[in-house]
Amino acid sequence: MNNKSRARLIHLLISTSMAEALLITAVAVGFYFATTNPSLRGVLDQADNTSITGWAVDEANPSGHVEVQLFIDDRFAGDEVADQYRPDVHEAKRSPDDWHGFAFPTPQLTTGDHQARVYAVHTNGAGTRRTLQLIGKPYHFRIGQ
Amino acid sequence: MTTDSQSQGSTNSAPGVPSDRALAAWEIASLVSSALIAEWILSAAAGRTKLIVAIPLAFAFVLVITSHFLRREGLHDLGFRFDNFLRAAKLLVLPMIVVAVLCVALGLVFGTRPDLLRWHPERPLAGQLALGFAWGFVQQYVLQSFINRRAQIVWQKGLRSVVLTAFVFSFLHFPNPWLMLVTFIGGLVWAFVYQRAPNLFALAISHSLMTWVVVSTLPMSALNHLRIGFKYFS
Repeated sequence: MNNKSRARLIHLLISTSMAEALLITAVAVGFYFATTNPSLRGVLDQADNTSITGWAVDEANPSGHVEVQLFIDDRFAGDEVADQYRPDVHEAKRSPDDWHGFAFPTPQLTTGDHQARVYAVHTNGAGTRRTLQLIGKPYHFRIGQ
Repeated sequence: MTTDSQSQGSTNSAPGVPSDRALAAWEIASLVSSALIAEWILSAAAGRTKLIVAIPLAFAFVLVITSHFLRREGLHDLGFRFDNFLRAAKLLVLPMIVVAVLCVALGLVFGTRPDLLRWHPERPLAGQLALGFAWGFVQQYVLQSFINRRAQIVWQKGLRSVVLTAFVFSFLHFPNPWLMLVTFIGGLVWAFVYQRAPNLFALAISHSLMTWVVVSTLPMSALNHLRIGFKYFS
């Protein structure tokens, strides 16, 4: 192979690599937006031996109500819609009305330390994927004797 | 027209320009990366439309065809020929029989009786074999006419380039363990035969028949419907 052909082949190999890198970047960005909702806001406020409460709002659709799932110690513990009365969220201008809270009754748990996580259920535009997006931070709590 | 790919390896490159060996290795790496992107990243990200998977494969084919052109490889060199068909077929017969017997024995050990109609039973067997031939032809073209010939530029004709070709073929079937095993064995046989009698038609027939044998003899649960890449887990 002469040097001109060699140079053309090198250019092609570099171009292919760059095109593939751009393709992967585009796919990664698209995948991020398909599987997460950047407009989601919420907090897991409190957890104890009676209830686990917080609020969640989708700022892209503030009049709608977010579906949330509770996991305790990484196990599914409940599913509900965040439509409970939370005037403080409205007063803080985080929601357009008073009805974006959630409150799960705490299930029967063993004595000791536990961790609660609440996830918002996110469905992509095509409806082909449902993903869970963590709301706020995990909440550690203790069940006494 | 170049008739011996090994002679290309002796071409000197200008200072600062990769040698032919380095360039050939780069070409193999580029093709493997395109295939892995399709199998692992785009298959996972693709929703209802799978067309996106075709993009890196199109890049790969552009590379393969352009590389043939730049290296002045003709159709005859690549294996699109019939003059050596019988020689290639003769070289293939014995290893194919051995592998078929091994597959039957292995299947029986795992409690699977041979069933020659198991490969897509909803289709006529002749049609399925024809499809297998077409798909085998594409795979053998890329594997032998591109990877094997580049491997020969890197490591000359012989054991090392045969093993490299078989390894690449097997690696592209990751993480399916049974398929990786049979593609490595098949890759060794086909790469060895191609180096002695480069004939894509004989290899494609062998590919189709051996796929039929593998699907008909080995446990389908172990083969996981021949799934590879991200799809293996679906």
